Amino acid sequence: MNVPVPRTIEEYLAQLRAALRGADPAMIQDALYDAEEHLRAELAEREDHDEAAMLAEVVGSYGAPEEVAEIYRDQEVTVQRALRTPRSPPRRSAIGRFFGVAADPHTYGALFYMLLALATGIFYFTWTMAGIGMSLGFAVLIFGIPFLVLFIGTVRMLALVEGRIVETMLGVRMPRRPLPGNRELPWLKRIGAMFTDARTWSTLLYMLLMLPLGVAYFVIVVTGIVTSFALVVAPWLTLLLPYHGVMFDGEPWSPTGWEIWAIPAISLFGVLLLFVVLHLARGIGHVHGQVAKHLLVRGGDRVA
Amino acid sequence: MSDALAHLKKKFEKELASGTVALALLAVLARAPEPLYGYLIAKRLEDSGGVLGGKQSTLYPVLRNLEAAGLLESRTEPSVSGPPRRYYHITDAGREALADWSATWNATRDSLDTVLAGDSK
Repeated sequence: MNVPVPRTIEEYLAQLRAALRGADPAMIQDALYDAEEHLRAELAEREDHDEAAMLAEVVGSYGAPEEVAEIYRDQEVTVQRALRTPRSPPRRSAIGRFFGVAADPHTYGALFYMLLALATGIFYFTWTMAGIGMSLGFAVLIFGIPFLVLFIGTVRMLALVEGRIVETMLGVRMPRRPLPGNRELPWLKRIGAMFTDARTWSTLLYMLLMLPLGVAYFVIVVTGIVTSFALVVAPWLTLLLPYHGVMFDGEPWSPTGWEIWAIPAISLFGVLLLFVVLHLARGIGHVHGQVAKHLLVRGGDRVA
Repeated sequence: MSDALAHLKKKFEKELASGTVALALLAVLARAPEPLYGYLIAKRLEDSGGVLGGKQSTLYPVLRNLEAAGLLESRTEPSVSGPPRRYYHITDAGREALADWSATWNATRDSLDTVLAGDSK
């Protein structure tokens, strides 16, 4: 307890951030948002607007930074346990692990995310390119700068929305509240801080990256699922429609003799391929979640 | 010895608070004529005393979880004093949960009262 009692809200938040060091960055962002909202409200209630006196009392009511950090760490563990679908018990055998992917809710979240990524990817890319292009074009005009600021602001909101999508579907903890700027600074400095904030630029990169990624994800899911189902079903159709059903190398294929055994073999291969696709989707979902977390959530210090 | 007792008391209070705070938040918001933001809710609970008058930073994560569960809804409004304030109001599902939880609470309190009264005889 050698930390001095904070005298300004900024100091309090800095101590809280220090006390939460090493915790999930998304949780840190939420904790800072809550604390700032509460402290500002407390300050607004006071008649004398004495920040230091308010903070001295707040340490008793809201909690000292270390206590608050402790509370959020505890809460986070409880929340994770209560709100998340319980993980299916890990399967021991290799076969169990291979087929167990079908019972994992993250698999279907990832599949759906990959389909959705085409739409969101196109939207993010278009929004970003249009914004950058128009900002450059307007730069010579009087409203060029306000336009650029407005555009960057929308991109930061989109980052929060994308974070919610990623958390829901991919199960990666993302912030639930926007990152507060520093209210002490004049608004021009705050706008400046948006541009020196590395996260603004990494968010822009993420938005642009989402188009190729979204197209790739969509193609992987659609071709993977369609190919698997075709392999599962098509061989059996040769029995139902012997001469017209399945074309093989330009000729209708009607298996005779030993080729009969190719029907269940190909079908089984289709089933295996389907599970490989599920594994691929879950893997991509996991990797994408990490990418999103690194590009959309800051890990280091906050905006000055 | 008294140190250990004090620690146990603190632990007991913390567990009691974390078990009942969601019910208290629903009750405060159900009785409020208009949506409230975190600070006002904290002040109302502070006035009520008891274990719920504890550290107010515990309330915000619980509010967020209740919202995620659909028992509360919120909207933000800009404020002159700082970041936009988040105003919470209770949903129909929240009122239903409140009625349900209140019944559980009353049953628990009655049974606990009986046990405690038996103890004092």
